[in-house]
Amino acid sequence: MNNVAVLGPIFFPFAGVIACLLLARSNRIQRFVGLAAMIAAWLSSLVVLAAVFDQGVQVYRVGGYSPPYGIALAVDLLNGLFGVMTSTVMTAGALYVVGSKDKCANYPAFMPLMLGMATGLAGAFYTGDIFTLFVFVEVMVMSSVGLTAISDNKLGLEAAIKYLLISALGSLFLLLGVGAIYASFGTLNLADIARALETGERPLLAQHAALMLMCAFLLKSAVFPFHFWQPDFHTTSPTAVSAMLSSVVVKVGVYGLIRLTTLLFIPESQILRLALLALGIIGIFFGGLGAFRTHDAKRMLAYSTFGQIGFILVGIGWGTPLALAAAIIYAMNHALIKSALLMLTGAVASRLTSKSAALAQLQGVGKEMKGVSLLYFVGGLALSGVPPLNGFISKLALVQGGIGAESWIALGLAVGGGILTLMYMMRTWQHVFHAEPEDVVNFRPYGDSLIAPAILIGLCVVLGVYATPLVSAAQMAAAQLGEPNLYITAVLGP
Amino acid sequence: MNAIFAIVTGILFGLGVYLLLRRDLVKTAMGYYVLFTAINLFFLAVGVFNGEVAPYVGEQGQPSDPLVQALLLTAIVISFGTYALLLGMINVASRRFGTIDSDDVDHLRR
Repeated sequence: MNNVAVLGPIFFPFAGVIACLLLARSNRIQRFVGLAAMIAAWLSSLVVLAAVFDQGVQVYRVGGYSPPYGIALAVDLLNGLFGVMTSTVMTAGALYVVGSKDKCANYPAFMPLMLGMATGLAGAFYTGDIFTLFVFVEVMVMSSVGLTAISDNKLGLEAAIKYLLISALGSLFLLLGVGAIYASFGTLNLADIARALETGERPLLAQHAALMLMCAFLLKSAVFPFHFWQPDFHTTSPTAVSAMLSSVVVKVGVYGLIRLTTLLFIPESQILRLALLALGIIGIFFGGLGAFRTHDAKRMLAYSTFGQIGFILVGIGWGTPLALAAAIIYAMNHALIKSALLMLTGAVASRLTSKSAALAQLQGVGKEMKGVSLLYFVGGLALSGVPPLNGFISKLALVQGGIGAESWIALGLAVGGGILTLMYMMRTWQHVFHAEPEDVVNFRPYGDSLIAPAILIGLCVVLGVYATPLVSAAQMAAAQLGEPNLYITAVLGP
Repeated sequence: MNAIFAIVTGILFGLGVYLLLRRDLVKTAMGYYVLFTAINLFFLAVGVFNGEVAPYVGEQGQPSDPLVQALLLTAIVISFGTYALLLGMINVASRRFGTIDSDDVDHLRR
């Protein structure tokens, strides 16, 4: 099946980059062109997902060369779902930029970089070629670094230098892993590598490649030993960007880890999964406790991302179909909740002249903002997993996965760590929306537009009340991951 | 041939790590570039495993793998872009913070 629609979520944002660069003179038109490009990408990602449901794995051979020689884009249910998640959240991000009062959103480079990030993300999810994955990840990293460096916060530059250095080193390891795989098997196509690894043959470099790829992906999703750059980077970037970074950009690593353990290194996956389980539990507690001792509402959410990624890693670590489905549900719901919460925090902070999200300055600012307060409260409950919101569905799925995997200690730790989330979310909510302002704070009566976070919170509620489609889709995706031959034959032919 | 590649790649890798750990941000950026060069060389070595003659021009002998050279070009372009972006940001940082000593550019830690 050669389905051209697979190209859509990559092509439309990229066309948007070019259009926005040509329209650099008019910022207003630029923003709307960017939004239109993202909506087109969102629609085409839905088309792709529908096609995957109907006809199985969709493949697009770039330039007509058949894989393993040419580059192939291959979409099964896993990356179809991740692609829809990305384009939904990125569209909300573009919508937030349209109503944003940030100074940096007026720069002619802002919208092109934002769309560049969307291109890189969609490409990294959809590609079936490991070198192309590296290229798209680099596109994404460079765009996000540029966006953070031009942030209104003067310290964004420092965080951007830090992140670019660390992430470039991570990309070096990814490249080293790619090279090692090419040296061992002479192919770059994921399906072809999987077929070569299936034979059980392990040349000298292949296992090192597994380790290097895993390190690179862990670094991209900021898991415990590679986490130190993340709070700085996610806190200092502009609101619309930090909402994207903390929700969808960290999922590239998660996607890579799922592919690594279910498609490529299946015989080694026992060891890899054990490591992921341990790192996930460390992440849950590190993130939860770290979130307590922060004095900045955005930084707290950045720390909370450690914890939530930890829950996802625990799901991947258990590795049963139920647990993998739980990891996918968790990843998708977390993207919606976290981006909405960061946008709401940014919208409150945008009323201050300093635009700082430090709790000392935000105290009581939201007292008059009943709507934002309600949305933030719902988002906080969703993040900590209270029914009937989507966070509850993901926690429930994860607990079921844990019972299925019979890993009782890990399950107990994971559930215990979930309580931390509720505590730090409610602490911040009270501080921002209920405490009396300490002294007279000067804040403006207007701020960033609230349409985008409202839509995302609405989606959270809808996916909580009416969760069946997402849950069954994730279960089908996990079932598909259990049979890697489906993916391999779809790409390479029988 | 492979021994030479291995030795040179190893030396460059070591140099890169050494430079990367310096306090001077410009040297750190240079260290990144040296590391990337080491990995590019590793990629090139992957291609000359089987043959050492240029492909497609009709020379005698087993040709080397042309695909890694294409990959290498892409990787070089990416590393060059990253390096330029890094140096550009360090340039702005030196004016904004008045220093390029990484121990002094630590406002986020305070």
